[in-house]
Amino acid sequence: MTSITAERSLREQFPRLVAGRSPIGGGRLDVRELERLRARARRFADEQVRPRALEIDLRTGEDPSWFDWDLVRAGGEQGMLSFLIPKPAGGTGGLATQAAVVMEELCAACPGIALIFGAHALGVSPLLLGGPSQWDGVLAELVGSERTGEPLLMACAITEPEAGTDVEDPDLLARARITSHARRVPGGFRLSGTKRFISNGSVARWITLLMPTDPRRPAETWTCFLLDARSEGFAVSRVEHKMGQRACPAAELTFDEVFVPAERVVGREGDGAAATMIVLACSRPPVGAIATGIARGAYERLLAWLQEDRAARGLLERQHVQLALAGMEEEIHLARQMYMDAATELDHTALGGVMSHPAVRALGHVPASVRRRPPVRNWLASDRARDATVALLHRTTSERAVTRSLALSSMAKARGGDVAMRVTGAALELVGLRSGLVRAELEKLWRDAKLTQIYEGTNQLNRTEVYRGLCHGETIHCLPPMQRFRPNGDGTHHAAVDAEGGGA
Amino acid sequence: MTGATTTERAELLEMTRDVARRELLPRAAALDAGEGAVLADCWRQLVEIGLDRALLSEEHEGSELGIPDLLAAIEELAVGDGGVAMCVLLCNAALATLAPGQLAASFAGARWALVPVRSGAEVTITHGKLDGRVTSALGAHSADGLVLAIEGDQPTTIGIVAGTPGLEPERDEAQMGLRAAPAASIVLAGVTAPSAIAATGDGARDATAALALLRAGTAAIARGIARRAYEMAFEYAQARRQGGAAIIEHDAVSDMLAAMAVRLRCGPRLATDSSQIAIGAAQALAAKVAATDAAVASTTDAVQIFGGTGYMRETGIEKLMRDAKYCQLFPEPNWVAEDELMGWERADRNDGSCRRCGFER
Repeated sequence: MTSITAERSLREQFPRLVAGRSPIGGGRLDVRELERLRARARRFADEQVRPRALEIDLRTGEDPSWFDWDLVRAGGEQGMLSFLIPKPAGGTGGLATQAAVVMEELCAACPGIALIFGAHALGVSPLLLGGPSQWDGVLAELVGSERTGEPLLMACAITEPEAGTDVEDPDLLARARITSHARRVPGGFRLSGTKRFISNGSVARWITLLMPTDPRRPAETWTCFLLDARSEGFAVSRVEHKMGQRACPAAELTFDEVFVPAERVVGREGDGAAATMIVLACSRPPVGAIATGIARGAYERLLAWLQEDRAARGLLERQHVQLALAGMEEEIHLARQMYMDAATELDHTALGGVMSHPAVRALGHVPASVRRRPPVRNWLASDRARDATVALLHRTTSERAVTRSLALSSMAKARGGDVAMRVTGAALELVGLRSGLVRAELEKLWRDAKLTQIYEGTNQLNRTEVYRGLCHGETIHCLPPMQRFRPNGDGTHHAAVDAEGGGA
Repeated sequence: MTGATTTERAELLEMTRDVARRELLPRAAALDAGEGAVLADCWRQLVEIGLDRALLSEEHEGSELGIPDLLAAIEELAVGDGGVAMCVLLCNAALATLAPGQLAASFAGARWALVPVRSGAEVTITHGKLDGRVTSALGAHSADGLVLAIEGDQPTTIGIVAGTPGLEPERDEAQMGLRAAPAASIVLAGVTAPSAIAATGDGARDATAALALLRAGTAAIARGIARRAYEMAFEYAQARRQGGAAIIEHDAVSDMLAAMAVRLRCGPRLATDSSQIAIGAAQALAAKVAATDAAVASTTDAVQIFGGTGYMRETGIEKLMRDAKYCQLFPEPNWVAEDELMGWERADRNDGSCRRCGFER
């Protein structure tokens, strides 16, 4: 039993998709490709995810470290690990729209299992901002591992024990109690500190993480690193017992003087705060989609129970039940419209431009074997190329566009989370305690739903961003500055670099 | 009944509060994990202060409390653990329906559970034999005896001692909330009625009164859970800092705390007459709906105030949310309770008796 609104084709529901431009390649977005991606996700969800959802939830409830690699492999076979990876690196080349469409489908089956793939995509996101320099490294490795059936997972580590919401807002970050520190050393950085609640943290092979290079000035020196989880000094200190979304482990990670080479700084040193905002703008529509999928999953299970179960006989005749179902359809439809609007806005106006810029497209046509040659590779990894990527970002979008996009994303995320809580709660109330299997499924979805009001910034924080971006018309500093002070070898910060001086 | 003096009642309430804080709160995680030995130990202490037979007379080794006192004690227990409070409620509701002969036969400290059965479809009585299946009966697993409170055209109560041939409770492993009141699916396969049925004289009255007590008690449990959620959230909001200030300074947080305080201060108050021995059915239904909706809202907000930390089991706040949700669903979902409430309200404006069972309001 499927929600009617989920049965309609994407082309029917979202005409803007047809007129829109593809984030990668610059041509029109291939809606048929998006439909195929959704069909693959739905097939994977129906055949592999839904049948195992309760069993895995029960098992991970007892042992949160338990992890189902078979499901990751099965998801990899359907391309669930590479939909966000650019085409030149071998992926599908999607952005927020693709991620959101996939997430709704998977979450209607099991949000916990879906989060494994969602957290992986979140880990990949900062690398997209790193530009072409990232294509032939870890991103290509991820695609290769997916193809060989031995998938590697990613995670993104931002939250700290004393700073959760604070690290997701530039103003709060400046006053946040950050305890981590990336200390500059010859050839790279030594990372120390703790990160908490990191989805996939205990199973990821690569982790994108954010730390300040100067803890006294966290906002100005917040920097993104790419960490090899096999590095010396890195440890998973514990895996949390969560209320829901348990199939995806949330881990506490400790860093004890972990060395990260300079070339594994993603983007430029100090650009982490802006990168975080862009990543959040990218990840919040999919969180809205996660919430929508949870609500849809609850609605579909409820409807099937009402129509098919002997214990529910006669209930569908009750107006109370009919009105409740209609209200759920309304809310799910609204939540989907909101996240798709936010996702397409982001893809078309905020980030799509840089991804489809002629210079980037041209580099995409250069064979990987050429890009991997030392002179090209070294240039792509150089400070000059990093500056050029920032300059390109400034040319193709604006802080206002990203702010507005972030606000729409935040709106979709916050409303979606509320819808998920309301629909799962109402569905559970309709079936009551005596309904057996469907009760267990709805209880799980209700527990799962609560997290959507918390992660990617609490709903309260998200709504302050809606106020700032839409009601107040504020422009948040969410692009890396054109000029960046670069540290000297001795660790002090000096010479200003004009990013305009670069060129792709 | 209600022979306890004011001083005795006050002392019992103080002892209950003490047990809740000293014994239940520190072991809430173990109780939530369904550790039977911990529940058994907690139960022994509650038996010692007489909460298992709170409403019974001295003749039956009871504490002779009135219903408001029992509800107050249950609310205090729920601050410690909602599941344990539910066990006390279910036991008292069950024992209140038993005939003197059965009470005499029940050993001291036995844990009984009242099981609401909403329709004849779940259980049938044919030629003195009970058959059927009742799913997810709270507190029924490992109980020493069960009282089925059967609603429907002919409401009645039936007491069954654990171990009766044909009675098989199966643990409900998927139970999400109030896990210290372990739920079971009860299979009745030809349970012989003569040994099982308590001839209390007025089955309809007993069943209706027992269910009213269950609803009022569930309201008290919800209130206790909401109080605990408020305490925890308030404390956390004062301690946790964000953006250079305690988060209680942020309107987003203080608004949620204020809403929680409003729900607590304006929550339903049941009868204050300590000599009261029965509670109005409509009053109990309304209180149950209001208190449990409030508890779900408050516990959900409390988890939100804790943020990611609140979503983790170790803080114990998400447990309150699960427990509150179960209160909303027990003994029936709130929308069904509202349906029933309208039955009473309509009766009140017509001939004064409920359309369902004829019992006076």
